[in-house]
Amino acid sequence: MLKILKYLFFTSIGILVLLGFFVVPEHPHFFWEKIPAFDAIFGFLGCIVIVLIAKSLGHYLLEKDEDYYD
Amino acid sequence: MIKPIPPVFLFILGALIIPFLRFRKLKQFFQIFIPIIAFINLLYMPEGTYWIYKFIGYELILGRVDKLSMCFGYVFVIIAFLGMVYALHVKEDGQHTAAFLYIGSTLGVTFAGDLFSLFIFWEVMAASSVFLIWYQKDKAALAAGFRYILIHLFGGTLLLAGIIIYVANTGSIRFDPLEYGNFASQLILLGFIINAAVPPFHAWLSDSYPQATITGSVFLTAFTTKSAVYVLLRGFSGVELLAWLGAIMAVYGVIYAILENDIRKLLAYHIISQVGYMVCGVGLGSEMASNGSTAHAFCHILYKALLFMGAGAVIYVTGQRKITDLQGRNLYKKMPICLSLYMIGAFSISAVPPFNGFISKSMVVAAAGELHRPIIHILLHLASIGTFLSVALKLPYGTWFGKVSKKDKYEIQAKEPPLNMLIAMGMTAFLCIFTGIYPKALYNLLPYPVHYHPYTLYYIVATMQLLLLTAAAFWLLIDKIGVKATISIDTDWFYRKAGKSFTWFCSHPLEQLRTRIKDAFTIEVDLIIGLARNPFTVPKALFWNFCLYSTKILMPLFGSRLVELKKEYEDRLTSLKAEGYDENIYRTPIGWGIILVLISFLLWIIMNLHTVS
Repeated sequence: MLKILKYLFFTSIGILVLLGFFVVPEHPHFFWEKIPAFDAIFGFLGCIVIVLIAKSLGHYLLEKDEDYYD
Repeated sequence: MIKPIPPVFLFILGALIIPFLRFRKLKQFFQIFIPIIAFINLLYMPEGTYWIYKFIGYELILGRVDKLSMCFGYVFVIIAFLGMVYALHVKEDGQHTAAFLYIGSTLGVTFAGDLFSLFIFWEVMAASSVFLIWYQKDKAALAAGFRYILIHLFGGTLLLAGIIIYVANTGSIRFDPLEYGNFASQLILLGFIINAAVPPFHAWLSDSYPQATITGSVFLTAFTTKSAVYVLLRGFSGVELLAWLGAIMAVYGVIYAILENDIRKLLAYHIISQVGYMVCGVGLGSEMASNGSTAHAFCHILYKALLFMGAGAVIYVTGQRKITDLQGRNLYKKMPICLSLYMIGAFSISAVPPFNGFISKSMVVAAAGELHRPIIHILLHLASIGTFLSVALKLPYGTWFGKVSKKDKYEIQAKEPPLNMLIAMGMTAFLCIFTGIYPKALYNLLPYPVHYHPYTLYYIVATMQLLLLTAAAFWLLIDKIGVKATISIDTDWFYRKAGKSFTWFCSHPLEQLRTRIKDAFTIEVDLIIGLARNPFTVPKALFWNFCLYSTKILMPLFGSRLVELKKEYEDRLTSLKAEGYDENIYRTPIGWGIILVLISFLLWIIMNLHTVS
């Protein structure tokens, strides 16, 4: 079951990235909208960046013990 | 012909009736009957301005009905109905009364055409909603409720100050688009954005909503922030500052949500993030952006209520609210229906086609694109990634699935929540999908004509790329993303810690200062009391004291010869102290008063003689 899901997941990513080369916006507003599969790259890197930012902020500044305010 | 009445009155009526109904079934009937009546009432309200009441020379307008207020009115009444179905099993009347007052006052704000009635409903909203937090009845909820009401009263006071200055300057209390720039409008804007939870004034939301009752938090998510978005749309459309605040706020909420462990607090941070899209749309100010804000508020109310219902159901059946306590318990086997309905809400908030977030969120983002705002566009995209990551991946994975080390492996009791909760969730989920599949139903309600088509191949492909690759990154980072049992400090740190240090300052340094002053004065007071016992001895006491101190000073010079003298003075002083006031000792032939009168009389005569001659 899990294996099928995995295959499904990777094939759909493959198909979407391939589609990204053919489907272009009608009126691109920014240069990056013309890059093929830009959203895929942005999604992957953006996710990593945002987790890194959050976790490092948390580690160095924000995270405290649960009874911090008591 | 049915004559509509102001919707606020319907809900106030409901709030008054509920406590007096004796039979539980009748009470439950009224709980869902009143929102239905209110919805029919809305259908009969024509566009225009009516329900005008004279008040101290001004006109209070309770019915300013146009497409914008109607759109918000509809969704508020719909969620009132759904929330009431979700809360049917709650036996405390007070919760329902508070909820009805809260809903009513929000509708009052929505249809208010003047600033006075707006302010009154604004305050009732804060005062009634705090009870939905306090009914949780634990210490954390009580404290969070107090912080909540204090912040809202502060915001309300700023709003009132702004309104008074505005009315004094313009002479009108009509609530029309305000010209941003003068002091009055800045105060009003500040009052509004405190309710919209715009950083740095957002901490009340993530602080208090997770502490509210399970059913109360569903109402809380819908009304306060969205009515603030409505008044911002009404008064401050196109204010550049709001576009930036909104975009920053969208990312801010996402970053905190990644660190969060409490499931409802995680979702509360995503309210801040999603309201960021709406505030950004208000700031962008174009017709498409305003439409986007309104549509997103509509959809957000539905899916956020659904998410809070799902998280609330988990807390209701397990009693656990933290991911660290829930993960690895395989709850998906015990509550699959709840999980599926939650996931519909999660896909909606993440803007997965064809759920309703897709048709509204993309509208704000596309408006930013149309206005050529690259940074805002990127920030909003980034927030979308974080939303999918936290709400649709991290939270359900941790809550219903997840792994836990062998030694912590124990089962927790869980089953599907009560039927009324599931029905409410089901209906909300249906609306999330319905507005997603058939966006025209929503687009027809929006304030401006819509020329936007979300279902183009490009948008669908781009969105799916973004989301699936986010999921891939989540899979990679799954061990790093795992939550820790910590809390994250936020801007409430400033007033929570400041409050603590203020009480410490009062109880320690200030208290010490007070004791010292008291001690110093006690000596003086004792002395004066001693002397006042017999004022006639004051000259003698002064004299003997003087002698005593002189002998003390001279002691080193003359040595033992003065010892006897010193002892004598001391004896005299003690006997002087023992000597009480006996009026017979000091009795004179004429009283002191009369002597003084005679002397002054004599002086007066002498002075007069002088002037006469």
